[in-house]
Amino acid sequence: MQINFGGREIAIKLVYYGPALSGKTTNLRSLHQMTTEGSRGRLMTLETKDDRTLFFDMLPLTFRAGGAGGGGARSEGDRGMTLRVKIFTVPGQVLHASTRRLVLQGADAIAFIADSQISETEHNAASFLDLRQNLSELGLSLKQLPVVIQFNKRDLEHVRSDDEIGALARRGREPVFKAAAVQGQGVLETFFGLLHLTWTKLDAEHQLAKMIGVESTQLLPMAARQLGLEGDVSTLLSACVGGSLDRHAKVPA
Amino acid sequence: MTAGVPDVLVEDVLLDGRLRIEDLVDRQGLDEVCRSFHALFGIPVRIYSAEGALLADAAGEQELCAYVNTTPDGRKACASVVGAVRARDPGESGDVVHPCFTGAAYRILAIEYDGRRVGRLIVGPFMPHTIVEPPASLLAIDPAISAERAKSLLPKMPRAKAETVTRIAAHLKSALDLILFSGHKAHVTSTMHLASVRESYRQLEEKAGRLQEAFDRLKELDRLKSNFLATVSHELRTPLTSIIGYSEMLAEGLAGELRPEQQEFVATIHEKGEQLLSLIMGLLDLGKLESGTMRLAMRPTHIEVVLGEVVSTLTPTARKKGVRLQLDLGRSLAELRGDPERLRQVFLNLVENAIKFTPVDGSVTLRARMVADESGDGQDDGLSLLAPTRARLEVRVEDTGIGIPARERERVFDPFYQIDSSSTREYGGTGLGLSIVKRLVEGHSGTIRIEDNTPRGTTFVVSLPQAMPTVAEAPRVTV
Repeated sequence: MQINFGGREIAIKLVYYGPALSGKTTNLRSLHQMTTEGSRGRLMTLETKDDRTLFFDMLPLTFRAGGAGGGGARSEGDRGMTLRVKIFTVPGQVLHASTRRLVLQGADAIAFIADSQISETEHNAASFLDLRQNLSELGLSLKQLPVVIQFNKRDLEHVRSDDEIGALARRGREPVFKAAAVQGQGVLETFFGLLHLTWTKLDAEHQLAKMIGVESTQLLPMAARQLGLEGDVSTLLSACVGGSLDRHAKVPA
Repeated sequence: MTAGVPDVLVEDVLLDGRLRIEDLVDRQGLDEVCRSFHALFGIPVRIYSAEGALLADAAGEQELCAYVNTTPDGRKACASVVGAVRARDPGESGDVVHPCFTGAAYRILAIEYDGRRVGRLIVGPFMPHTIVEPPASLLAIDPAISAERAKSLLPKMPRAKAETVTRIAAHLKSALDLILFSGHKAHVTSTMHLASVRESYRQLEEKAGRLQEAFDRLKELDRLKSNFLATVSHELRTPLTSIIGYSEMLAEGLAGELRPEQQEFVATIHEKGEQLLSLIMGLLDLGKLESGTMRLAMRPTHIEVVLGEVVSTLTPTARKKGVRLQLDLGRSLAELRGDPERLRQVFLNLVENAIKFTPVDGSVTLRARMVADESGDGQDDGLSLLAPTRARLEVRVEDTGIGIPARERERVFDPFYQIDSSSTREYGGTGLGLSIVKRLVEGHSGTIRIEDNTPRGTTFVVSLPQAMPTVAEAPRVTV
């Protein structure tokens, strides 16, 4: 996270992690399509064709809270604040380890995009262990970071059953969302689940809401409105099938 | 392993990089884009950075403006309008119109990228299509301005409807956005690429560091091992000398006559004792060679004498095994500078080995020849300076034995190395001989290598430099 007091801006970094071809980029594309033009930037896909050293996507989203409201341009003297969210995907392929670690640096939260297909179970686990390893090399741990898990590709056959995922999710700590990112299902739910955890944690640690004069509970609904979303954010969050969305509500001891 | 402090550069670029137009686009290219817009729509276009610097300018002076500028008050008024336009903020909406007293107008639009204002686009002056007569504000500026002249110049001003200007501006902005995005992407790519290379380099360095540590530790262990070996060998030799000595005395009957069976037992004790002693001597030699404390007594040496002794010593062994042992000496073999004792040790070892690994009815041949020195680096440059000045003597020990696979040829000279540990049981030996041989040959500034002996078997090639004829004799050399 970076806070710019003068510009009243907060920038946070969300990373979509997961095995190759689990649908991380598809999540970003869907999110990009679903959001309004005012709040999103271009989806940047970086791919160096020759040596494939780099391979990742970046989607910038910009939310305005308080002040005059609304997206887009603003002038000096407006006392609102801007929340800039940058969502990154990491390259899933094993050989991009160094890029993965670079993208992971300074991440505020992680959405782990798992592939629901039974055949991919091991790849999911390997990628999760890889995530843990990379974080520890960066001096971070999964315990410090908000994490949500998405079981993607629910629309395919030969996937792990809802019951199975439900049972696993209830045992785990991390909130779990089900998705079919190709059809846009579960994408916003995952994003808002992650944004909720992230905001709650950062707010608790840095008293962001107090500092910028925004009600903590107002941020998510505002973000949702600016993404062109009708209805209640809590409906989105209720799609979560396990884990806890409140675990970062308290200031860590 | 911890990467430590996150890369500030990468973080800045990825998370909250403050982007400036001038960092993302080529100024000249931007100017060309504006000129092409100007050429296409006839309306002047300017681009300013967020800090107010003019980045691109495609605006020729309009005739009407030039005319107004010929009058003192007109010039003043014009400068004030231009200054106001340049300073004007496009406001909350990011799009404002600034009027000119001539009736013309300027559109000032915010250029946004990544949710931030990065500059301003100024379109104009253009004449709104509603204005057909020179307005009163123009004529009032300076009494010298003629209404007639102004009216004749008015139609030459670029004209546009507000919607047209909006469309043109939107088009230019979207083109600009794409240019900025491309620039941004290239910036991110190069930064990440650099960071990625740096990260890989860091990993490699770490790995190299760990390897170096392991290497240093192994070297230290190796040194300790050599010391230990030398000490133990030395300690073993003393009691062994007594064992051999007393068994000799027993055999000679100094302690009374022995029965044949006792004689045989004592002979075995003596023989095994000698074997053990030669092994221990080998270990001591190796220890000395490794620590560099072996001293060679160098003196003029004739290789034919050395080789002759070796052959006569080993002929009984060869005969016993049914292997032919031949000596083939070339003509005019040069004199060497060497330690004949140690050279004898070298060839004894090689020939003994060759006999050991050659089956019945095979042959072992020792050939000595003079050859041109090939120790140069194989390149022609500087030959007149670098060409070797001495010939070399090459001794080949050829056998028709089991051979040594090409990939093993370097390793057989390592101490204790044996190609196949089962060969120790079959052929005996400690694996020390060749490592000592190699070090002794190198102590004579020589080389040793292994070649095939077609159709079967192995050839050890020992190459030794001819003695320097003019150099005075130095008594001893430390290897």
